[in-house]
Amino acid sequence: MLTQFGATAESLSKASTMMFRIGTDAHLYDDPDDVSIAPLLDSKFESEKCEALKRLLALIAQGFDISNYFPQVVKNVATQSLEVKKLVYLYLLHYAEKRPNEALLSINYFQKDLGDPNPLVRAWALRTMAGIRLHAIASLVLVAVGKCARDPSVYVRKCAAIALPKLHDLRLEEHTAAIEEIFVEDMTMPHELITTEYMKSMIAYRLDYNLAFDNLHIFWRIYLSSSESQHIVGMLLKDNSPGVVGAAASAFASICPNNFSLIGRNYKRLCEILPDVEEWGQIVLIGILLRYAIAKHGLVRESLMLSFEDLEIQSQEKDDPESSHLTCTSPLLWSYNSAVVLAAAGVHWIMAPKEDIRKIVKPLIFLLRSSGSSKYVVLCNIQVFAKAMPSLFSPYYEDFFISSSDSYRTKTLKLEILSTIATKTSISSIFLEFQDHVRDPDRRFAADTVAAIGLCAQKLPDVSNTCLEALLYLALSESSNNAVALMGEEEILLVQVVKSIMAIIKQDPHSHERVIVHLVRSLDSMSAPAARAMVIWMLGEYCNIGVLTSKMIPTIFKYLAHRFHSESVETKLQIVNACVKVLLRAKVEDISELRLAISYVLELAKYDLNYDVRDRARVLKNFLSHCKGFNYLEEADYRTEFNDLTYVFAEYIFGGTKKVPSESFSYRFYLPGSLSQIVLHAAPGYEPLPEPCSFADDETGHSPTNVHNDHESNEIDDSDDISGSLDEENTSDYSSESVSGEGGDSYIASDSGEDEEAGTLIHLSDDAPDSGDHDRVSVKNTSSGLMDAGELMSKRALESWLNENSDSGQNSSNLSQVQRSLARISIKDIGQLVKPKSYTLLDPTNGNGLSVIYRFSSEVSKVSKELACIHVSFSNHSEEPMCNIFLAEEKPNPSPDSSEKSGSPSESVLVSHDKEATLIPMEEIDRLNPGQPADRVLQVRFEHHLLPLKLVLSCDGRKQQVKLRPDIGYFIKPLPMDIESFLKKESQLPGMFENIRRCTFSEHLNQQNDKDEPPQKDIFLMICEKLALKMLSNANLHLVSVDMPVAANLDDLSGISLRLSGEILNNSVPCLVTLTLKGTCAEPLEVSVKINCEETVFGLNLLNRIVNFLAEPPR
Amino acid sequence: MLQCIFLLSDSGEVLLEKQLTGHRVDRAICDWFWDQILTQGESLKLVPVIASPTHYLFQVVREGITFLACTQVEMPPLMAIEFLCRVADVLSNYLDGLNEDVIKDNFVIVYELLDEMIDNGFPLTTEPNILREMIAPPNIVSKVLSVVTGSTSNVSNTLPGATASCVPWRKTDLKHATNEVYVDLVEEMDATINSFVLPGFSVFLSLFLHYSGQLCSGSPVCIDGHPKQLANVFYLYSLSCSDLSPLLILLLLRDGNLVKCEIYGEVEVNSNLSGLPDLTLSFANPLIFNDVRFHPCVRLRPWEANQILSFVPPDGQFTLMSYRVKKLKSTPIYVKPQFTSDSGTCRVSVLVGIRNDPGKSIDNIAVQFKLPPCVKSSDLSSNYGSVNVLADKTCSWTIGRMPKDKAPSMSGTLVLESGMDRLHVFPTFKVGFRIMGVALSGLKIDKLDLKNPLSRPHKGFRALTKGGEFEVRS
Repeated sequence: MLTQFGATAESLSKASTMMFRIGTDAHLYDDPDDVSIAPLLDSKFESEKCEALKRLLALIAQGFDISNYFPQVVKNVATQSLEVKKLVYLYLLHYAEKRPNEALLSINYFQKDLGDPNPLVRAWALRTMAGIRLHAIASLVLVAVGKCARDPSVYVRKCAAIALPKLHDLRLEEHTAAIEEIFVEDMTMPHELITTEYMKSMIAYRLDYNLAFDNLHIFWRIYLSSSESQHIVGMLLKDNSPGVVGAAASAFASICPNNFSLIGRNYKRLCEILPDVEEWGQIVLIGILLRYAIAKHGLVRESLMLSFEDLEIQSQEKDDPESSHLTCTSPLLWSYNSAVVLAAAGVHWIMAPKEDIRKIVKPLIFLLRSSGSSKYVVLCNIQVFAKAMPSLFSPYYEDFFISSSDSYRTKTLKLEILSTIATKTSISSIFLEFQDHVRDPDRRFAADTVAAIGLCAQKLPDVSNTCLEALLYLALSESSNNAVALMGEEEILLVQVVKSIMAIIKQDPHSHERVIVHLVRSLDSMSAPAARAMVIWMLGEYCNIGVLTSKMIPTIFKYLAHRFHSESVETKLQIVNACVKVLLRAKVEDISELRLAISYVLELAKYDLNYDVRDRARVLKNFLSHCKGFNYLEEADYRTEFNDLTYVFAEYIFGGTKKVPSESFSYRFYLPGSLSQIVLHAAPGYEPLPEPCSFADDETGHSPTNVHNDHESNEIDDSDDISGSLDEENTSDYSSESVSGEGGDSYIASDSGEDEEAGTLIHLSDDAPDSGDHDRVSVKNTSSGLMDAGELMSKRALESWLNENSDSGQNSSNLSQVQRSLARISIKDIGQLVKPKSYTLLDPTNGNGLSVIYRFSSEVSKVSKELACIHVSFSNHSEEPMCNIFLAEEKPNPSPDSSEKSGSPSESVLVSHDKEATLIPMEEIDRLNPGQPADRVLQVRFEHHLLPLKLVLSCDGRKQQVKLRPDIGYFIKPLPMDIESFLKKESQLPGMFENIRRCTFSEHLNQQNDKDEPPQKDIFLMICEKLALKMLSNANLHLVSVDMPVAANLDDLSGISLRLSGEILNNSVPCLVTLTLKGTCAEPLEVSVKINCEETVFGLNLLNRIVNFLAEPPR
Repeated sequence: MLQCIFLLSDSGEVLLEKQLTGHRVDRAICDWFWDQILTQGESLKLVPVIASPTHYLFQVVREGITFLACTQVEMPPLMAIEFLCRVADVLSNYLDGLNEDVIKDNFVIVYELLDEMIDNGFPLTTEPNILREMIAPPNIVSKVLSVVTGSTSNVSNTLPGATASCVPWRKTDLKHATNEVYVDLVEEMDATINSFVLPGFSVFLSLFLHYSGQLCSGSPVCIDGHPKQLANVFYLYSLSCSDLSPLLILLLLRDGNLVKCEIYGEVEVNSNLSGLPDLTLSFANPLIFNDVRFHPCVRLRPWEANQILSFVPPDGQFTLMSYRVKKLKSTPIYVKPQFTSDSGTCRVSVLVGIRNDPGKSIDNIAVQFKLPPCVKSSDLSSNYGSVNVLADKTCSWTIGRMPKDKAPSMSGTLVLESGMDRLHVFPTFKVGFRIMGVALSGLKIDKLDLKNPLSRPHKGFRALTKGGEFEVRS
């Protein structure tokens, strides 16, 4: 101690801290290895051993690997001192897996300790023994657990219950290893899927097919031990002590969550004991009881879920079981533990009749006061509840008022909830509240508030006038502020205000003429380009809705013509657009007045610095020359021109009467209180609620056929529900087409099986009542597409005009040119240059001369929109021809129950729960001569797994494992959209949906140096092209636009931005990518990549991928 | 279930790691996490659930220490957060507060505690009373002993009896020389007060209120604001609402309207009773509770039936229940901020005073606000207490006890960024205070009965009200 003191206490202050820290373990943490530890461990004094172990612990804490002390530490397990024992255990648990052989030395001592009279010693020994994860002693541990499960001490029994999952986990590892030896089994399969049923089927399968028997004993052992541990769980669930029951529940949840018969036996007692179980056990037990109650009895007739799901099932006996379950959870709404409250609220939400759900509201709201961290999670859940049933929370709007200490995300969540639950009566108070936030120093939040005001106004038309007045005032005062204020941050608010006003006006433009006039008048003081652009858009769109506007128009255009040169690109484009719109709609007598201003504007635009503006002006001018009144022809001529196709197109594009496709909001959500619900994707191990009434006990009177029918209809129901909600027209059309066309082909079967898998989530959508058609089975089988075929057709046609280089004639391609110029860069060029990267699946040295190369293609699969296409090229480098080359998925063998039904593929698929990436097999290559190449297309459903997909390549009867690495860039497909809808979409995905990363891009440098670029080629263009090419060759995206600053210096690239869009394959969630450049031509560019995507995790992964490939050197 | 817990210092250093299951989590996840914090700013610290590429992370930040837990599979996120909060509570209770040094100094105890609190990712023993019996908290005696003798054990040799009993929160055979039980009502007042209504914006809203049928037309419409701005309002108003009849315009009382005012309270009990006492606590006015939440020891049936708290208390200090009383009518003090802008500078004055005398003295008064980002420099002074402006533009005015003779006020000028003419964003003032001896919710304890008394215990009741989220919007 003294040496320690002298060595470290160099200054007085240090000395004083030493004095203060005397007697603690500070010196051990600071300099754990200042003395040699090994002799201390061998010391005969407990205190020295203790010190040595503490030093080791300090090293562990600091992240050093000290497993080399293992043999010496293990020896000390025999100690009598509990403290030393504890420290040894801590060490053992940390390193036992690394040093299995030495760890075996300790087993005898554990065995001895298990017989110790002190329960604490027994418990510790059991905990450590189960925790050290040695396959060799798994069976010993099982015996020990079984013994401890009958221990007189509650604490030991509890530890036994907790030890079971450890054992289970170890066993999973063991048998996945074992299975891998024999079958081709995918390691990525979640452990939870490997249940006893699964094991049984495996064993049955092996017996059936007389495969090698030598490993069978492993299966029996695993099966037996698994059934043994389930037996122990059952026993512990019956325990008298609530503490043990809680731990047993957690064991149940991780070992055999679907073994409902085990719960069935104890259901009533578990319900009774639930309030006495300790809090952590309660959380798990509530979930188990809920699953059981649903599987056994189905939902209560009046419950909320039913009204959304439109399920046919009703509970026959709604007298006792559910209600007893519910009454036992309702006192838990008063629990101190927020997780318990939320779990209990979830049960009420799913099970309770509608009138009883109100009970959960107050406790949930009270949770908001508990702690900052849980607040966010609770709010996320409330948001889901409120969206499904706003009336629940609407009386409590005051509780969602924002406090300045909330974090930004909490604030935005509260705003969202407030705008969801606002009603006619509460709106005035909510507005008063909003008005305070508009002046919040955090301008981002203030802008969000304005957006919320806009939402409320759209929702409640009664107040839209008031909102509009208020917003208008804000816009006027803000724009005057802006004139002098700092730019940047302040702009956000003004832009949002104008955006909200625009959204409100859209609903009923005719009654808001005055507002438009006001906005237009304030154009002069408005400096934010985005806001100006929107005002001009409104001007063009609503130029003829009233007397006032049409009177103003000539003057305004004079003003715009005057200011044109100083506008930003975005505004210029809108001005040019507005010109066309105005001309299309103006009365003939006004035209002469307008003509001058407009042709002046177009002339200016034609010689603009920005080529986008130039291009657009040219196209539109060409357009207008055919239009009424604009040309200098006589009226008679104009009549003949009237029917000109160009005019029709112009009218089509700029005519304001287009029906804006109403966005159907669909919320797909997960069980309340689950992790998946917070992160918005299914976390591994997430299990949706079981099918109602899917579990029939022997005692109940459910006839099996009945159950089966229910089952089936549900599944079809759900599958359609999901696909329908994701993409109303397209998918339903697809499935109906393919079903009728190909007659239940195996592709389709696997597809609908997949849908079914996704469909068992809790799913609600805003338009649930009409989309939840109970006759969906029949609708699906007949041609359901016909219903909305008309709408669909028109939409298709428009899309093809706008986005595809269709072959439908000269005119349409003309039009697509217009669209191209809107997109500001020629995509055609780029499209040809795009070269997706190729990867090697198998190189000739490993594959006996067969080389396989694959690359991801941007094609969209014809079978299902969730499949990614992969081009696989085979080539034979050997001397001899090869036969029967085939690539297939490593498949776990079908379970017996599905093989029974193999006669009808569609049925068997319904019951298979295959979660893995599925593969649509390619055509087999019969023969491949030496030197001959062959190409095939593979279609793979990756889900979102980023793990390599294991495939089996068979060639000449030989099988070989190969790994296909998924590329997240191809989990998406291009989503064609124009810049406006891009910006709109982008603004809908703020905050947590937005992620930014920076990287450097240097590819253009080499290019510049080594190639002699023609000097006239615009360097900007070249760099944009490079960047776009890089993006498009690595990710399946649609290039929306390339923006450049107008007043850019020659080699300053800052401000150039590329926008790309795509949608995620399996759920059609849009994913927006924006690249912004910074730097000069001569240096590596700094690219900031921004992703807006509702699937945050997917977005992040994609972002990382983009940043990686952008930064990587050119090939 | 949780796989790993990390404790991070406020500079991102990993203080210690505790692996909980066989699925190890590499420390690299902490680097990833800290990178995210550095790139996305401090706001990420307030996000409790983060999905990293490999793990889901839960975090709770307490006094600069980040408690980070990882999992790869689905689990209730609140369970993880609540558990981390519990760990933080227990540690700060054991170590008398949390900071980097104290955790390093006592890392062995932290390890031992974590090992007892969670097993295989599932919470094992979280009841503080039992933990205290299993692992001795560091105290001065053990420190001295450890210096003298070299080392002492802080691990108990026996299993606490409570783990076996049906009241797992209580020691089985307690003996106290003095039997006493104290009940404290600790209340926090959450209030949001609008002291100033934005002109213009509210004109239309109040017009709307009036014309949506609440008042007949022709009655006065209230507008508040500065003359200059009022003129602006009139101009606009005449533009927009020309179809309405002329209105009388009155100035709204500046006094501020109460947006919301509620009490969040806790019943704290300190029990030092021998044996296995059974207590009942009843309130004189239980109907004022809006929401309640109970310690696990409270029996829920009697509460459901008669609003009576019946419980076997743990030993020592614990929170028996927490409650909320909503819709209070007034606050004990007022804070009136006022901003007057004129050509690039802004005059601030803040007045604090007693509105409704609670009958007891108000102390620990402090007013805090953040200067808007557009303020370049400030010069603030007060006639009572001290004013401090920190580097991050937080201005705090500590008043302390409310003086009898004068009303405290703070005034000064703010210089705005060049180009700004007037202030258009306004800060929110956070107000703290304390009133001893009063429960502002009006909650009254009726009586506390002891069912199986060994000897007549000494009973005591106290009350205290503090400022909670007490905010005044300027």
